[in-house]
This record gives sequence, C-alpha cells and structure tokens, in this order.
Amino acid sequence: MPSLPAVRSRLPPLPRRVEGGAGQGRFRQTQAWLHTWCGLWFSWLLFAVFLTGTLAVFDEPITHWMTPEHHAEEAAAAAAPKPATADRAQRLAWGKAYMAAHHAGAPMWELWPSDADGGGSLTAYWFDEKRQYVSAQLNPSTGQPMAAIPGRGARATLGGHHFVDFHYELHAGAVGLWIVGIAAMAMLVALVSGVITHKRIFQDFFTFRPGKGQRSWLDAHNVVAVLTLPFLFMIAYTGIAISGATFMPAPRLVHYGTGDAAQQRFIADLNGGLPERSGRAMQVPDLEPFAARGQALMGQPVRAVVIDHPGDAAARIGVYGWNGEADALRRLSPTSGMVAFSAATGEVLQVRQPGGAEGGTASLAQSAMGGLHMASFGGWAVKWLYFVCGLAGAATMATGAILFMVKRRGKHLGEFGGATARVYRLIEALNVAAIAGLAIACIGYLWANRLLPVLLEQRAAWELRSFFALWLLALLHAFARPPARAWREQLGAFALLCLLLPVLNFSTTGDHLPAQLRHGDWESAGVELGALAFAAFAFHALRVMRRRDRAASVSTLASVA
Amino acid sequence: MSTLQASLMALTLAFGGMAGLAFAMDRHYAQLTQRREAPARHRHALRWGGAALLVLAALPCVAAWGSSVGAVAWLGFLSAGALHVAWGLPYRPRFVAWAAALGGVVGLVALFVSFAAAIGPR
Repeated sequence: MPSLPAVRSRLPPLPRRVEGGAGQGRFRQTQAWLHTWCGLWFSWLLFAVFLTGTLAVFDEPITHWMTPEHHAEEAAAAAAPKPATADRAQRLAWGKAYMAAHHAGAPMWELWPSDADGGGSLTAYWFDEKRQYVSAQLNPSTGQPMAAIPGRGARATLGGHHFVDFHYELHAGAVGLWIVGIAAMAMLVALVSGVITHKRIFQDFFTFRPGKGQRSWLDAHNVVAVLTLPFLFMIAYTGIAISGATFMPAPRLVHYGTGDAAQQRFIADLNGGLPERSGRAMQVPDLEPFAARGQALMGQPVRAVVIDHPGDAAARIGVYGWNGEADALRRLSPTSGMVAFSAATGEVLQVRQPGGAEGGTASLAQSAMGGLHMASFGGWAVKWLYFVCGLAGAATMATGAILFMVKRRGKHLGEFGGATARVYRLIEALNVAAIAGLAIACIGYLWANRLLPVLLEQRAAWELRSFFALWLLALLHAFARPPARAWREQLGAFALLCLLLPVLNFSTTGDHLPAQLRHGDWESAGVELGALAFAAFAFHALRVMRRRDRAASVSTLASVA
Repeated sequence: MSTLQASLMALTLAFGGMAGLAFAMDRHYAQLTQRREAPARHRHALRWGGAALLVLAALPCVAAWGSSVGAVAWLGFLSAGALHVAWGLPYRPRFVAWAAALGGVVGLVALFVSFAAAIGPR
C-alpha cells in the first residue's frame, strides 16, 4: 500500500506504552484476531438471520403473494358495501351470551366486537382446558356462531411468517432462540472489535475500489458496515433486548420459581396483575358501559374486551384500544391503550395510555425496543429503510466471510497446521452454501408454494421442508464441486429462480405483473419486482466473475508463455 | 407533510450532504477533478455545506414522524444517502456530483416551500 505512509505522516504519532512493548498496535492486533474468528464462525448463521430478517420486514406482502386464493375475496370484500351490523352494545351482549352458553368454564374470555371504524366482524377468543388460544366467529348481524369457513381450496402456508420465525428461532423453539441470541452477542463483539480494527474509519468512510480483488472485498465489507453502523448496533441490541427475560432468567426464577404456574403468574403480573379468584359466583355484567368508559379514558376506539375469571366476583374487565395509522406513524412503542375495571364494583384498576407500558420505565423501554426492532412504526418509508439497511447487514456478513477466503486463496496462513487445506475447503463450501445456498432456499420456498398441490396434507410443513431440503442440497453441491464452479452454478440457479418467478406465478395462477399493477395490487407486484431485482443483481455478479476469470486465465497464459 | 414527501426530501438532502462530505476529501475530490488535492476553500465549503444539509435532513423527518420516530428515520436516511454516494463514486463520480447538487437544491427549495406553507398566513 504505497499511500499508507503519506496518510500516516499527517496523523499525530500513536502514543506507545514503553513497558512490555504492548502498545496500541498490539491491542489492535488482538482485536483484529477477535474480529476475524468471532466474525467467521458466526458469519454464516448471522447472514441467514439477516437475510431472512430483512425479508421478514415484508412478511405481509410475501404472505399475500403466497395466498393467491384470497386475492379475489379481498378485492370483493373491499368493493362490496358493508352489510348492516348491530351496534357495539348488541354485539358485546351476543358475544357474552355465546361464551356463557358454550364456554362458561374458560378462565378468560376475549371479545372483539368490531374493527376500528365500528363495523367488521364479531369474534370471541378464549383459553380451552389445555390453555390453548381458540376462537369462534359470530355473525355480526345476528350473533349466531358462523360455521367454520372451510378451506375453500385455499392453500395452507406459513407465508412470509416463515422468515419471521426462522430469523429469530430457526423454527427450533427455545433452542433456536438461544442460538440466535448467542449469535447476536457475537455480532456485537464483532462490531466493536471491527471498529477498533478499522484503522482509517474516517479516511475510508466512502471508499469502495471495485475490480481490485481482495482490496475490493475489504472496501465493500468496511463501507457497508460503517455506513449502516447505527442500524447494525440497534438491530442486534434490540434483538437481544426483546428476549431479555429468556436470556436473563435468573431474576424471574428467583422471584417466581420454576414451573408452569410460576410462568403464568409472571405473565399475569406483567399484564398489570390479576386479582385472585374469590370463589363467590357473580354473573358477568353488561359490557357496554365498561367499553364506553374505557374508550373515554384511553381516547381510542375499542378493539377488544377481555374478561379474566368470568363468573367469579373478582372478575376483571380489560378494555383494549385500536392503534390508528397516526399512532403507528409517530410512536416507537407499539402498545395500544388499555383500561382495566373491577367487574363487581366498576372501579378503575389500571389505565394505560396508547404507547405506554405497565411496569414503569423499564417496561416502556423494552416495548419501544421491540417496536424499534420490528419496524412497527413509521409506515412504508421506515420499512424500506430497514430493508435497505438489513440487506447492507447481510452484505457485511457475506463480504466478511468471502474476504476471509479471498485472503487465503493465494497463500495458506497455516492456522490449522496440517489440516489447513481441508479446513479452508470446508470454509469455502460453507460460504457457498450459507450465502448462495440460502438465497436459493428462500426463493425456492416461494416456488414450493406454487408447485406443491393445493390440497396436500400438511402443506405448510412441506413448504418448510422444501426450504430446508434445498438448503441441504446446496450444501452437498458446494462440497461436490470446486468452489469457483459451485459459486457460479448456485448464483446462476438463484438468478434463474428469481427471474422466472413471475412466469411461474402466471402459469400456475394466471396472475401477472401488468395485471397486478393495473389492479393496484402493490404487494404482489412488489414481491415479483423484488425477485427481478435480485435476479439482476445475481446476473451482474455472474458477469463480473466471468470477466475476472477470463482476465485471470489470460494473465496465466501470458505468464506461461 | 406526508411521509412520502418527507422521505424524498430527507433522502435528497442526505444524499447531497454525504456527497459534500465525500468530495471534501482529497481522494474523492481527485475522482471528480483529477486534481490530487482539494483547495482549502473548496474543502471547507463542501464540508460545512454537506454537514448543514445532513442537519437539515432531520427537519422533514421530525415534521412527518415526530421527534422519536423522526430521529430513527433520519439516521436511516443518512445511511441510505451515504450508501448511494459510496456506491456511485467509483463508477460515476460526475453523476454523483450533479445528482447531489441537484438533490441538495431541490431538497432545500422543497423544505423552504413546505415550511413557509406551514407557518405562513392561512
């Protein structure tokens, strides 16, 4: 690097500790070591978390694309005039009567009398004997239970929610949550050590020099990470904070003890504390007066009325509000308003204003961090910013992992003694499978949605299996082929799958981009345009690789001659 | 102010500001002008002008989203603007410069107009 001395000479000399010779350079070296190895071993997992987490920003549009049978219904529902429905008081009374007649013994009743505008459906939810959350739809004009709507040939799918689940628990429940949590901690370590290692963070702030091999990979790695550093810190930190109660269970275990009952008491206390059952029977009172008072106290339309211990004299009635569009736009904390009453006396037990949280500032901070992580605020603009920054995060992991190998392709550094060549081969293959292979699995998941028979048993599970099977195939392929070929073939497969996604959709459902744009179906159009953009990116990467390989083979020929 | 207007304003101002900061550096000044070093006058003007645009980019964010969400959106737009500058510089430095100048001016005018409309007589 010829320019280095020139730059250095303009900087003040680094302070050096004399004793022991352990100066700043030494410190930086240890941080570089930490960054390299901590970064490498977690980069594959973190890339997967970031790529799927980025797709999870748009989980609703992806779900929409993956449930084409619902498109016609949605359009018809939007166009049809709303059927005349009874007012809220009547609907709450119907909901109460239904629950008292059919599920009187349930420990909790939850009635959703309307949508935010006062129209819409009437739904009852409750806990059954196994404490499972179940629901029934009631007819909003008659109060009669509606027959469960048969599938009507709609495909069962997890939709975009697959990406949400995968990115924080890898579809592996608590174990997956812990694995992702540890990876997020490792990412924070890698971010801090990376900033310390990066000697010229301000001089190189905007520097990207393409077409220069290892130099370019390092530039790309630095530039995407440095320019999105606030986002990367925030998303890793809030990701850990959301599950803080799981990752730091000691206080909860000491205070509440172990077991299901303790867990239920903990959750009840989190929600403002439940009164104890009194054992004296009391009819559930008329709900409308509570709903009206709750609405006045929190200043939001009523979303749900929740009755704890129904039938008991100690019953508690909670009235929950709807967050309007303006609320979601301007508030980090996604909670709605809530007012709790004593059913017996009508006394106000608790008032939560919209955006507030029970349990003081710490709870509020956690709620805001949850909102911050999930981009539940700010509307589409913020979602797109998260998407762009999330892709930059994924690019940070990918370029870091690739850089590790690019640095070592020319010369072995011998970190693993006699096994070095084999370990390098392993890392090369893991790079291909973790980066290109995962991308194939993600787009393949959308292909599975269209190719699997609509009425297949366990259909949603089969879509998920297709995702993992494709990923596994990519891993085997990465081991079976030489690295350069594996990269090219997997990138090519990814590009084709993305490019042909609109064709697949047209040939299976008859829907296509021009029609989507004409109907204003921006969610479907967004998914397909997004796939085309990824295809363009992958084809560009392939072209760059081919150009580079050609240049390399020309220079080898020249040197041989 | 609608969030779409605010987004466009914040993005153009952030892009213009980040480009200003970039061209204030010798390395990127050289990409644009083939001169090895930026004259001190240019350097200062670009740096201060760029910083001012970045600060101004916060205004539409706070106006559209309030201070807490606005601050998050502002940081996001700074990152997005900077990524575009860094990506464009090695391939099309002149285009980046023209787009940044145009974006800065249009962003400033739009900002001025919308605030004049907000505080002016009704």
